[in-house]
Amino acid sequence: MNAIIVLEMKKNLQDRGLFFWSVILPMIFTVLFISVFTSGAGEEESREIILSIVPGFTIMFVFFIMISMTESFLKDSQTGMVARIASTLLPANRYLLGKWVSFMAIVLIQIFVLLLFGKLVYQIPLEQPVPLLVLSVLLTFTVTGIGLALAVIVKTNNMGIALTQVIALGGALLGGLWVPVEMMPDILQKTSKLLPQYWAHQAFQEAMAGTLKMSLFWQSSLVLFGFGLAGFILALIWYPRFLRRAKG
Amino acid sequence: MLSVKNISKKYPSVTALNNVSLHIPQGVCFGLVGPNGAGKSTFIKIIASVIHDFDGDIHYSGQKPRIGYVPQEISLEDTVSAVDNLSFFGKLYGLRGKKLKRRIDEVLDDTGLKERKKDKVKTFSGGMKRRLNIGCAILHEPDLIIMDEPTVGIDPQSRLHIFQMIERFKKEGRTILYASHYMEEIERLCDLAAFIDKGKIVENGPVEELLKKYAVPSVFVKGENCLPDDIGQYGKVTERNGGYFITTNAPLEVMEKIIGHSKRHNSQIEQLELVKTRLEDVFFSLTGSQLRD
Repeated sequence: MNAIIVLEMKKNLQDRGLFFWSVILPMIFTVLFISVFTSGAGEEESREIILSIVPGFTIMFVFFIMISMTESFLKDSQTGMVARIASTLLPANRYLLGKWVSFMAIVLIQIFVLLLFGKLVYQIPLEQPVPLLVLSVLLTFTVTGIGLALAVIVKTNNMGIALTQVIALGGALLGGLWVPVEMMPDILQKTSKLLPQYWAHQAFQEAMAGTLKMSLFWQSSLVLFGFGLAGFILALIWYPRFLRRAKG
Repeated sequence: MLSVKNISKKYPSVTALNNVSLHIPQGVCFGLVGPNGAGKSTFIKIIASVIHDFDGDIHYSGQKPRIGYVPQEISLEDTVSAVDNLSFFGKLYGLRGKKLKRRIDEVLDDTGLKERKKDKVKTFSGGMKRRLNIGCAILHEPDLIIMDEPTVGIDPQSRLHIFQMIERFKKEGRTILYASHYMEEIERLCDLAAFIDKGKIVENGPVEELLKKYAVPSVFVKGENCLPDDIGQYGKVTERNGGYFITTNAPLEVMEKIIGHSKRHNSQIEQLELVKTRLEDVFFSLTGSQLRD
């Protein structure tokens, strides 16, 4: 399994496209949105806006890893790599786990870099680092769990991209990552609570400000873990079909 | 080395293999010949343990051999280097540390890719990728090397390099299962061959014996008005390659007849030759279809 993790990490860390949209693009968006929304705002208001936008865009952009996950699985399937790996000593489930672990690592690095960027450029507080770390791991689990399900279910790259856009952008819009939830109509406020993005955003903001209560921490953690687990189980259920398709 | 008995594989829309039985002895190069869609790749994937859900049995004499599988597709990670690919597959075959490093160096030598070992695979030519594709399957020094159309779409130089590698494997006593629809490759490399068509083995045996058994000589003639009207009584006439093939048991008589006809009618013969029977003709006579259909 280590071989899968090492190769996947090497491949992803060399991928300039992935680096651009997972690190550079969120930074550009963060700077632009903060510039627009803080112009004319007071110091306290600006601090609140920054505290919302930095984790908000971090959460939104980590979901785009699902495109890379889908592409990676589809490419392996289409080039005969899955069939070839099946002829080696590696058990079939280790391939899935190896891929998953490597994408977990990529997303964790992405969260770390984006929060560090916020800290260095906007001096965002990181008052409760331990809950933040736990929440980051759980968010990573959520994203990669759903991504894994998507990767074994979809049959084309375009399908993967389309579904990722719906999940990432739809979730960002409804989850209050762009516009504060309080400014949304009642029905949307209720809907937002069904989404992992909402819970991650609320908990991240509070943990950064140092005001995260245990109840919100557990509630958010459970939601994130639940979504990740659901994705992971769905991926496990669908994986044999993916293997059959990939092996021909 | 291995025997397969009554192997069948059915997909929802097609039966890929239908009661296939074969024996592949130790140390031979065994050719599996058939047109695209005949069932070669399915058979190979079953032997290579890629496909597990099939009917029938595979029996190995002794322990299950170490198997190296070279798929038809170029199954490499093209965004990393040749060494990264070799290292990856070496680890999947259980190699570690110094042994892995030594085998990577040896395989790079074998495949002629030492100079380009650190380059990304996407910068390689088709032939280099094909050679690396084979290299990744032989790192663990397999007893049985399974190759599915390993020379598709490559330059003559790389094809020759691959042939030399296969001849070396034979000398080392490895068993090779070689699927191809290129008859000239089977004739050149294989000791034994099986013809597969529509999921069934239609004939198998030593290549030389197959050629003898089904040998019907042909005469090839090319030129304007050089074919006598009654040539059909000597055998089957087929128009191919800008001329005519006359498959006949009396080739010399046919040649005399053509020459006599040309003299009488003052027509020019561009080419007249006795054609040796090739595996392609054997396949044609057995199945009635061309290999490159």
